[in-house]
Amino acid sequence: MDNNFLVVENISKSFGNNKVLENINLNISKSEFFGLLGSSGSGKTTLLRILGGFEKPDTGRVILDGTDITNLEPFDRPLNYMFQSYALFPHLNVFNNLAFGIKENFTQKEIEINVRDIAELLSIEHLLKRRIKQLSGGEQQRVALGRCLIKKPKLLLLDEPLAALDKKLRSKTQLELTTLQKKLKITFVFVTHDQEEAMSLSDRMAIMKNGLILECSSPEEIYENPKSFYTANFIGIANIIEIYKKGENFYSDDLGINFKLNKELKNIKTNILLRPEKIKIQSINNLKTSSFNSFSGEILEKSYLGSFTRYEIKIKNMIISVLDQNFYSNSNYNFPKGEKVICSWESESIKVLED
Amino acid sequence: MKNKLFEKYFVFSPYFWLVLFFFIPLAIIFKISISVSEWGMPPYQDIFLFDNGFKINTTFENYVYIFSDYYYIGSFVNSLILALISTFFCLLIGFPLAFYIATSNIRLRNILLVLVVIPFWSSFLLRVYAWKIILQNNGILNVILLNLGIISEPLQLLYNQYAVIMGIVYTYLPLMILPLYGYLNKFDLNLIEASKDLGLNRIKTFFKVILPLSVPGIVAGSLLVFIPVVGEFIIPEMLGGSDRLYYGKILWEEFFVNRNWPGASALAFSGIIILVLPIVIFQILYSRWSQKNEI
Repeated sequence: MDNNFLVVENISKSFGNNKVLENINLNISKSEFFGLLGSSGSGKTTLLRILGGFEKPDTGRVILDGTDITNLEPFDRPLNYMFQSYALFPHLNVFNNLAFGIKENFTQKEIEINVRDIAELLSIEHLLKRRIKQLSGGEQQRVALGRCLIKKPKLLLLDEPLAALDKKLRSKTQLELTTLQKKLKITFVFVTHDQEEAMSLSDRMAIMKNGLILECSSPEEIYENPKSFYTANFIGIANIIEIYKKGENFYSDDLGINFKLNKELKNIKTNILLRPEKIKIQSINNLKTSSFNSFSGEILEKSYLGSFTRYEIKIKNMIISVLDQNFYSNSNYNFPKGEKVICSWESESIKVLED
Repeated sequence: MKNKLFEKYFVFSPYFWLVLFFFIPLAIIFKISISVSEWGMPPYQDIFLFDNGFKINTTFENYVYIFSDYYYIGSFVNSLILALISTFFCLLIGFPLAFYIATSNIRLRNILLVLVVIPFWSSFLLRVYAWKIILQNNGILNVILLNLGIISEPLQLLYNQYAVIMGIVYTYLPLMILPLYGYLNKFDLNLIEASKDLGLNRIKTFFKVILPLSVPGIVAGSLLVFIPVVGEFIIPEMLGGSDRLYYGKILWEEFFVNRNWPGASALAFSGIIILVLPIVIFQILYSRWSQKNEI
């Protein structure tokens, strides 16, 4: 696939003394659904606004489909931006909001056909005569989306597209948004602070922190093989353990146990990641503790989550989170608080964090 | 119960104010305007006479007189034109200023707002008089222009309609800026960005988004300038010349120079009716329009 549909090259941006973006590089392919994930202040919105043309970068270039658009005004860019607040025009009804961007270049008849088509696509035909104030949050989101899509942009930028919706509507809209994107094959770049939203929408995503891109990969890759301590912690639940080489194996002072890795380490000391669902939890009666990749501990906290039960297990100086799938419907199968259990895992489940 | 009573009176207090300070004086003016004038104090006869039985002593001659003489109607038209031009210039200068203030950061915004209000802290008469000093033949402006060699003899800047317009725009500008600012303050700047994103350049964005959404602020500011300017007396008196007569001055002369109280009252009363009626109609139409458009 052509990886150079949208190229972000060495973008830096400061507001006064505050460095917001530092040397950002990104390559996004055509028809990709790309997520920018970061906490507030990570620079993700500024990057999106630079793509939209609302901010000018201090250095670097933005190239869209082979054209350098760095210095183009927003109204000259072949892309559209969906605002977090939707920014619908309160003095116009839904029809005129949708038609706003195409009024210039189309005849009245063409406008009507285009608006009907887009309204049909988003199932908002019945709302065309309504005023913006008469719409619910979900309906406003669709109008904002339609107002952009009617222009058939090469690239659609979405600022926290689902943040203003309530939780139930959010998961429904999430699904619709992915389906729509796959159908229209428009490149989507969106910003979010919600890791679940980023994981479920993105084909690939970039994790941002303090104006830097820490990692950029598929959600699976970032979850399973994060490179940094920050990403491991930021995405999902993480048990991060410091280990060092001791003879054949590796040893953790906090846990007081040995680890066996199937990989050599560059450093003597390093952090490893163990995701909570990779840990098998068993009754102490069934099994003897192995000399490595397992430990026995006491259940400190337990929360029943339906499909999973989350345990907080204390061992020596550390508390390890474990997610256990509720395979049996008999509730007696769950371990009670205070019970001693044995936890174990496969060697390949241990991921070494580079920094 | 007591609270309810208080609420009731509280709600009616603006009407009470209106009756006391607008309708009663207006009624008195109307009464004087239909009285027969005479030499004396007050310079008009009572409208109810009781000496030889009850008799109503009124006349509409004053109205006939002012509407048949272009001297009066002309001055009123002059004042309306003056008010229109001044309102237009106040809007032209005030809108960008108000928009700039409303969109600047909070510290700069407060400084700018204080700067807008500061002139109110000194006497209005003094400020208009200062313009006389600036614009007169040997005033600051002429001296500077002469010394720079731009002109060879002093320009006649004072005592004409242009000086009057300038003085009025200068004086009434804050009355335009403040209501506009109050409205533009709430303006969602994302709307401007959205408009640009959808392909409209700055000028089109101004006419399609900023202007239509600012109508309530523009209406409020324009009425606040237009209405008092129609009756403005002091600024034309101080800065104006004999090239144009204005309603306020004619009214003053009729009252204090000619001592024709009934004539002046008829003029004042007609003026109010001519001015108030279109504004009331406009307000009704406007409130219907804004309700329909939810602005």
